[in-house]
Amino acid sequence: MRQVPSANVAVSATRIRVRKSRRRDRRAAAVMIAPNLLLFTVFVLVPIVGGLALSFTTWNITNGWPKWVGLDNYRRMRDDPLVWEAVKTTVKFIVMGVIPTVVIALGLAMLINFRFRFVAAVRSLYLIPAAMSFAASAVVWRYLYLNGPGYGVINYVISRFGVTPPDWLASTQWSLLSLDIITIWLTLPIATILYLAALQRIPDSIIEAATLDGAGAFRRAVHIVWPGVSYMTPLVAIVALLSFTNGSFDLVNILTKGGPLYATQTLIYYIYVNGFGYGMFGYAAALSVLQIALIGGILLVLRLLSRLAVR
Amino acid sequence: MTLSPRIRRAFRIFFATAVGLLMAAPLFYMVAGSLMSNEQLSIQPPEVIPNSLHFENYSNAFSGVTQVIQLRSFVNSIIFTVGVVGLQWMLCLTGGLVVAKMRFRSRNLITAFYAISLFIPLITTLIPAFVVVYELKLVNTYAGLILPIAAQTGFGTLLFRQYISQMPEELFDAARIDGANWWRILRNIVLPLARPATAAYVAISVLTAWNMYLWPLVAAEGGSLQVLTQTLAQVGTTGQGQVTPQNVIFASVVIVTLPMILVFLVVQPAFVRGLAGSGVE
Repeated sequence: MRQVPSANVAVSATRIRVRKSRRRDRRAAAVMIAPNLLLFTVFVLVPIVGGLALSFTTWNITNGWPKWVGLDNYRRMRDDPLVWEAVKTTVKFIVMGVIPTVVIALGLAMLINFRFRFVAAVRSLYLIPAAMSFAASAVVWRYLYLNGPGYGVINYVISRFGVTPPDWLASTQWSLLSLDIITIWLTLPIATILYLAALQRIPDSIIEAATLDGAGAFRRAVHIVWPGVSYMTPLVAIVALLSFTNGSFDLVNILTKGGPLYATQTLIYYIYVNGFGYGMFGYAAALSVLQIALIGGILLVLRLLSRLAVR
Repeated sequence: MTLSPRIRRAFRIFFATAVGLLMAAPLFYMVAGSLMSNEQLSIQPPEVIPNSLHFENYSNAFSGVTQVIQLRSFVNSIIFTVGVVGLQWMLCLTGGLVVAKMRFRSRNLITAFYAISLFIPLITTLIPAFVVVYELKLVNTYAGLILPIAAQTGFGTLLFRQYISQMPEELFDAARIDGANWWRILRNIVLPLARPATAAYVAISVLTAWNMYLWPLVAAEGGSLQVLTQTLAQVGTTGQGQVTPQNVIFASVVIVTLPMILVFLVVQPAFVRGLAGSGVE
């Protein structure tokens, strides 16, 4: 009990010092983070909030100020059949792309997760498409997809099997898949790196022990590999989701312009067309709110799925 | 059927290499095609090894009637990439230090903002972001091209935050007791120790900036600020029935992509570490 006063003195002295250093920290922190926060606010936060405000207006950007129209844009969105087409196309594009990306990436990562002489060079083969832009890939794949009179490489191979090859980018049935394939190819390197990192944390000894105990490749995959890497799957899915969001503009704008017959008109592309094509910035802003809600919804589903998978 | 481990291993190496070659095949085809004559490129069945090397495709990509790449666009791409990565790196390093090691009340709130912004990429706020740039009268200026992208500091700040917060607290306490202010700590402790994080960050950001298409497309409508992805997009859109021969187009794609392939091969370890590290937590 007698120690209490002196302890109190000590505590309050520390407190004063901490408080003092905190005050100093606050000033230094404010100065040091100011440029970052300023730009971040102007070009990231303001657009997020401003976009919401803009969605209640009608405006063609060049003429005067936005005019408040309440919920008009949202009503119009509800009645615009192209919006629902675009939402369906976007979801299809993402589902048809992200799921194969996750599955194939895990397979590829398992394939290159062992040591041999030229392993670094072989791994580079898998990773190198990551250096390519959507724009560059679009140019190359356009030629790979070429259909008659002179086939591109892909359709030449298909035709050798006696099958009539599809008219990839120009067909309503195949165009979205064509863009998915390119985006999968571009996303696989990053997804594979992530899974490879997780795989390398599984000790070789565990896998060897299982092999000695007679577990085949399939059982090893289910009982050892998957539990060891499953924690990485949400991150892979999110990275893939963002990549497919970008691909849903770049590739569409370069290769198909949303066609044929709106078959590849993703929501992002429809926003771009409304904003920069028709100059309807208010309506485009309302569509952007829908886009953010859509991505948010998909993220929520992913979260629920990963919770279920962990259980 | 039991194979000896040696044969199984050899088979596995062969299979891994074959699949790898398939993954990289479009790139090899692009390089091969860029060196072929246009006649060879349109032969059926398609050929993959050039009969003779047509290096003139590369000079044709830069000049004459077949010109695809304007020197101006090349310079613009370099300015854009260096500007974005240089500026953003400084913002993220300082911001990362602040949210990792300094104590102030709104720290968690600010960190949360950075985290949330990761899920709202610029592409979804394109319209209002363009309005901001338009109202600041920055359309068709380098500032309008560079600043909004450099401002996407969420990923970098969190990357540096994670890296810096793992540095021992004693290091910072000792420096402060010696009377060092935060700028000296930044220069003498954080900067040298965070070099691996910087390498990973630069690797990822250079690729992203060089390959960016959408923002330059809307921020620089005029030709004088055009970057290389726009150049490629134009030939990619025209496709069949165009005037530029395919071999010259392939050469152009190689010219635009090669710097990034070289960058990628050099920084691959850092790139892999940076990405892999982001999933560790």
